[in-house]
Amino acid sequence: MSEQGTRLPLGEQVPDIPTRIRTGLSAGFKTSLKIIKVSIPLYVGVTLLKGTPVLDLLGKVFAPVMGLFGLPGEAAFAFVAAFLLNLYAAIAVIVPLHLTPFQVTQCGLMMGIAHNLVVEGGVLSTTGARGWVLTLCRLVIACAAGLLLRGLWLLGGW
Amino acid sequence: MEAFLAALLGAVQLSAKLILIIVPLVTVFEVLRYLPVFRKAGNVVEPAMRGVGLTRDAAVPLFTGIFLGLAYGAGIIIRVAQQKSLPDRELFLMGLFLATCHSVIEDILIFVVIGGSGFAILGVRLGLAVLLTGLMARIWKPA
Repeated sequence: MSEQGTRLPLGEQVPDIPTRIRTGLSAGFKTSLKIIKVSIPLYVGVTLLKGTPVLDLLGKVFAPVMGLFGLPGEAAFAFVAAFLLNLYAAIAVIVPLHLTPFQVTQCGLMMGIAHNLVVEGGVLSTTGARGWVLTLCRLVIACAAGLLLRGLWLLGGW
Repeated sequence: MEAFLAALLGAVQLSAKLILIIVPLVTVFEVLRYLPVFRKAGNVVEPAMRGVGLTRDAAVPLFTGIFLGLAYGAGIIIRVAQQKSLPDRELFLMGLFLATCHSVIEDILIFVVIGGSGFAILGVRLGLAVLLTGLMARIWKPA
């Protein structure tokens, strides 16, 4: 293969460094803005719900499933936020729940594998790789990873 | 009202932490991503990629997904996948790897900020991705 100088394989031109910094900063702030528009209301909502019986009651419903992974029932809300939206939304739900470091790690692991399923399932399908199969795989793998981490943790710390 | 203000304060603090991660991360990536080092990294990881049934053609979309994530890296992943017309087997293996292990820097950092263990998350995800993809590559033989 011959050297192609600064040409990129995809035929893009390389912008100079100040342009790249500007692009990065503006893209970063745009992304941040999108994220906090969702996470602030979620955080406030969950914090206020925490004082009411609503969250306790729903937490009890999900406790058996969440318990498999060493998580409290309330963590189910964080999973809903992660599956349908993104990890930032999930974090906005997790922080007011005051989980232990292990539980935060467990959420990070499982949600890191399975999140934003609607949008990312679309991306995975466009590669021609059967989006829904991979989305199903992600849910199964997330559960497997969760059980694995729980097992490692029970076996004697991590 | 007091409870609401306390909640709002917490939400703003969390948002500030997230912005402090996202903005520098995106900026650093934008500055570094044109470096030739990244294109040559393909040579170094080729043997490792062969172990999970992938060829060099899959390197750019694979590493874009691992570091950037699926939604953010979508443009690059889709373009490369279509241009290089990767075989079905390789697309599936790449998808399986990325399903388990993607967007590692950003995703792990934000959970570390709220008290999680980055090593545990990265270790299990990377280990599972290699294991599952390697296993599938042996089950689904190349045509």
